[in-house]
Amino acid sequence: MMAICTGCSLLCEDIEVDFKDGRISTTKNLCRKGLGRYRSLYTERASPRVDGREAGLDDAISRAAGLLKEAKRPLLFGWSNSTLEAQSAGLDLAQKLGAVIDDTSSFCQGELLEMVLKGELPTCTLDDVRNYADMIFYWGSDPSNSHPRHMSRFSYYPRGEKRQRGYDEDRTAFVVDVRLSPTASMIKEGFFKLAPGGDASFMESMLAALGGKIPRLQDKKKVIAMVNTMKRADFGAIFPGLGLAYSMKGRMDILKRLVDGLNETSKYSVIPMVGHFNMRGFNQMLFEKTGFINRVSFADGVEHGPKQSIIEASKSCDVALIIGSDPISALPGGVARSLAKIPTIVIDPHRSLTSELAQVIIPSALSGMEAGGSAIRMDGVRVEFEPIVQGGGSLPDVEILKRIAEAV
Amino acid sequence: MSLELSIVTVRDIFQSEVQEVGRFSSEYQKMSAIIILDKGDTKTLGVADGGRLLVESSSGSVVVGAKVDDQPHKGLAFMPNSPWSNQLVSEETGESRIPEYKSIQAEVSTTDDSITDLSEILARMRE
Ligand code: SF4
Repeated sequence: MMAICTGCSLLCEDIEVDFKDGRISTTKNLCRKGLGRYRSLYTERASPRVDGREAGLDDAISRAAGLLKEAKRPLLFGWSNSTLEAQSAGLDLAQKLGAVIDDTSSFCQGELLEMVLKGELPTCTLDDVRNYADMIFYWGSDPSNSHPRHMSRFSYYPRGEKRQRGYDEDRTAFVVDVRLSPTASMIKEGFFKLAPGGDASFMESMLAALGGKIPRLQDKKKVIAMVNTMKRADFGAIFPGLGLAYSMKGRMDILKRLVDGLNETSKYSVIPMVGHFNMRGFNQMLFEKTGFINRVSFADGVEHGPKQSIIEASKSCDVALIIGSDPISALPGGVARSLAKIPTIVIDPHRSLTSELAQVIIPSALSGMEAGGSAIRMDGVRVEFEPIVQGGGSLPDVEILKRIAEAV
Repeated sequence: MSLELSIVTVRDIFQSEVQEVGRFSSEYQKMSAIIILDKGDTKTLGVADGGRLLVESSSGSVVVGAKVDDQPHKGLAFMPNSPWSNQLVSEETGESRIPEYKSIQAEVSTTDDSITDLSEILARMRE
């Protein structure tokens, strides 16, 4: 049968799955990361626990509701591995509780995605890229490790409507990174190696070249040649990854200037390399509701700012509900230690470092396999899916959240 | 012998696959608790591929395995993004409240201690 993969925000829809004795026996078209996601159906699954002891699901849900009800400043965090339906139930719960709500974009692609959602950076779909793009720019991104089928399904290798002759004739690609990543080694001629943190000044030199000035860099000729090639392109797509997000935080206006400049003579779009399968879904939904993509408190109307970020909220909140995320693994050790000190409820299909430290664990169905729903791909395309595995025994996120909301 | 190095965290598809399947597996530790070094730097440190290194930043420390890179990048090291690398990331985040995941300054030295495991990291969280 056909299935989708929730292993990353490409949400590949061409996965073929065969079953034997009720279990998945073979799959086709998955990348390694996606295969890991599928194999995880049968490994390290979470079970309901309260205060370190095994518990029934009802007990876990009522204890979670009790903790949230008593909290003065609850934090609801995670969301990027949840369906749109679960995210919507989560937003309702946050409003009901007057809680702080934040997601993983708060410490990765948030700044870039916000610019895209506000229309400050032009964007397009990955299908447009496959069909029309003749210029591809991976900036601080390494899709062959992070989004393994990005290059083959959409951005570099495939033939498309106006790109019938294949990548070596039809597409030019550049890679900017601090190392010769596996992606960069596929596109060696177009690779620019930067020192860590060197993205902003490299971008400034591209802007200089674009304005007909001589860039102040050792690679002058190569930069000028690249910018000239970029200017001549019909349709360009820029894929900023975490390398760019971290190196240029707070200075994304330079990227906007570059994209605006390129758009004077050509057509350029930006698609941030969102990691988790539905991070963009959460950001879009919160944006539509509040005008902000993350870091919101509903304690007193809608408040947004650094105080509402997971980094600060880990210190200021008194109860945390963590869904589909493992912040104890993902946050800097010092912040994780603060978070570990407050009572935590974890909703997750799997065990994690965060669940090991949690007061309440509520196991959930694995979205895309055991639970259906919808999600927003990294380029804004909505993808809907049905469960393909029956009887996993755990409830979908959305139902768990609704039951908690009823009980608070 | 010790060296001051800049560490950049990276994504690795093999590690991502294992992370999906088993966060608590020994393979996940094997693929995460590593630091990828320039060949010259490993010579200076006197460490071979697979040797153990203590990596200390102003925020924390971990013992991980050394991996020698074919690519030269003297003074620069890479670690897969993981709970191990995160013990080294500062909780000071400045105005953006985004941690410096890709800009870690650390002192790296050889050690006889065993590789930091997840139960040790969890124990630190409980302190
Ligand atoms: S590229 Fe992403 S969505 Fe596609 S199979 Fe791999 S992990 Fe799954």
